[in-house]
Amino acid sequence: MDSLLTNYISPYYIKIFTLVGIYIIIALGLNFISGVTGQLSFGHAAFVSIGAYTAAILTTRLQLPFLPSLLVGGLLAAVVGILLGFPILRLTGDYLGIATLGFGEIVIVVFQNMDITGGTIGLSGIAKNTSLSLVVLVVIFTIWSMYRLENSRFGRALMAIREDEIAANVMGINITAYKIQAFGIGTFFAGIGGGLYAHMIQYLNPTDFGFSRSFEYLTFVVLGGLGSIPGTILGTTVLTLAPEFLRFVAEYRMMIYGALMVIMMIFRPRGLLGGVNLSKKIRALKNKKKTTIPSDAR
Amino acid sequence: MSELLKIDNVTINFGGLTAVDSLNMTLTEGNIRALIGPNGAGKSTIFNLVTGIYTPSKGRIIFRGQIINKLPPHKITGRGIARTFQNIRLFSELSVIDNVKIGYHCRSRGSFIDALLRSPAIKREEAHTHERALTCLALMELADKAEEVAGNLSYGEQRRLEIARALATNPALLCLDEPAAGMNPIEKEKLANIIRKIKEMGITIFLVEHDMKFVMNLAEKVTVLDYGKIIASGTPAEVQRNPAVIEAYLGKEVV
Ligand SMILES: Nc1ncnc2c1ncn2[C@@H]1O[C@H](COP(=O)(O)OP(=O)(O)O)[C@@H](O)[C@H]1O
Ligand SMILES: [Mg+2]
Repeated sequence: MDSLLTNYISPYYIKIFTLVGIYIIIALGLNFISGVTGQLSFGHAAFVSIGAYTAAILTTRLQLPFLPSLLVGGLLAAVVGILLGFPILRLTGDYLGIATLGFGEIVIVVFQNMDITGGTIGLSGIAKNTSLSLVVLVVIFTIWSMYRLENSRFGRALMAIREDEIAANVMGINITAYKIQAFGIGTFFAGIGGGLYAHMIQYLNPTDFGFSRSFEYLTFVVLGGLGSIPGTILGTTVLTLAPEFLRFVAEYRMMIYGALMVIMMIFRPRGLLGGVNLSKKIRALKNKKKTTIPSDAR
Repeated sequence: MSELLKIDNVTINFGGLTAVDSLNMTLTEGNIRALIGPNGAGKSTIFNLVTGIYTPSKGRIIFRGQIINKLPPHKITGRGIARTFQNIRLFSELSVIDNVKIGYHCRSRGSFIDALLRSPAIKREEAHTHERALTCLALMELADKAEEVAGNLSYGEQRRLEIARALATNPALLCLDEPAAGMNPIEKEKLANIIRKIKEMGITIFLVEHDMKFVMNLAEKVTVLDYGKIIASGTPAEVQRNPAVIEAYLGKEVV
């Protein structure tokens, strides 16, 4: 499929689009935790790294097939997310942010000091198994999952927690249980994205998954709109493509991200598409068309 | 008639402050019980104790014959106690109907796997939740606002939405914390009628109200609280004549 695509698109673009897709998967995972459930996470990249290293070690060291390795990477990221969730998801707001940040840094140190991960030298020799078409499929699956999860009893419970924990609790929602599940699901997608990333870049180094990377993912989500699926996709796409096509953006990337974050928080804390219900907007447009028909006939 | 809720010698301390002091109170099934008293008397704290947000420092809370004061709020809701908040606590960015659907959470099923698979059984459950939410909204005269964002409703509508959401939990006991606060006389009269209708559904009502007039022709029994202690209890007429109540409400100088 990809070889077919290369007839039309240069390998450079295929690489960039693949990367955008992977980041969308990861960012949608973070959006589920922070945007839908309202739990601040500064350590998302750590879960990406768990998925990346797990899948890469399984394929390189144990010669396991790629897809099962990818899945195991996602599941392990989720398990770690859930185990971490038990103690820290009782925290709220800033405290939770700091705890996730600390956890993210711990993961890096652990990977730097393990033999199986290649330590500080990194892990190389990973096969290039990730194709654009596979990433597109996983992106579609992720969007589909997110849509279904949000539009359900489960999703309503998560949004209730985001809106008001005490009220949610009094409505019969077991806050901790739901937060942990949301964390598990969000970190699962981080892990899947990590596995795809590893088998695209073919080389892993713990320092690639530090706080600045977690902050980038958060910027993707915040720019588009916390809690909005189309917003997260838009934010991720714009912020991934901009440095590729605009030289000055690449040079000052972290500075621009930081500034963007500040500007968004001041002027549009809900993000570009946050608070915009697209399906409702479309429905409203349709209704408008219907109601304008008689006046046209007049 | 049987006893539904029993607050048995309950005390709660916040640091040096005893907000509720060795309180004894029994609510009869099917009645409207009013709890009145000046600001800071401890009324909301009693609701927080009954709904599990606070744990008593001392004493027991018994609901339908079972001790509930060690249960977390979500389990207490499951047992059949619902409430509204003095300071409105809606899920303000969600739609009106979603707010009420969340109230039905404890009476429905559906894990995240069900959300993904959307089996026919889960679709039926969702349809049922939708029906149920619309019924609660209709009862509170909010059915036409179902798709609006909760935070955009007027103050009085938000208060009614809180009641609709609480009703959706299918409670045996409904605790209303100053439901008439900030309402004009017409809205208050409408609310009083709604509260009577809820009572007729067989739901026991525990009504905290600052406004003595509002509770007088609504409640069978009124309890007056001051500094975390009961200073009077009886029919509205009895309580109104009680000198201790007049003193608490109007201050010593007047009496
Ligand atoms: N969580 C808390 N921490 C400290 N003090 C509290 C807390 N909750 C209530 N109080 C105090 O308990 C007293 C009773 O408050 P409250 O129950 O809200 O009164 P009411 O609802 O009757 O106006 C007040 O003095 C209040 O400041
Ligand atoms: Mg109060």
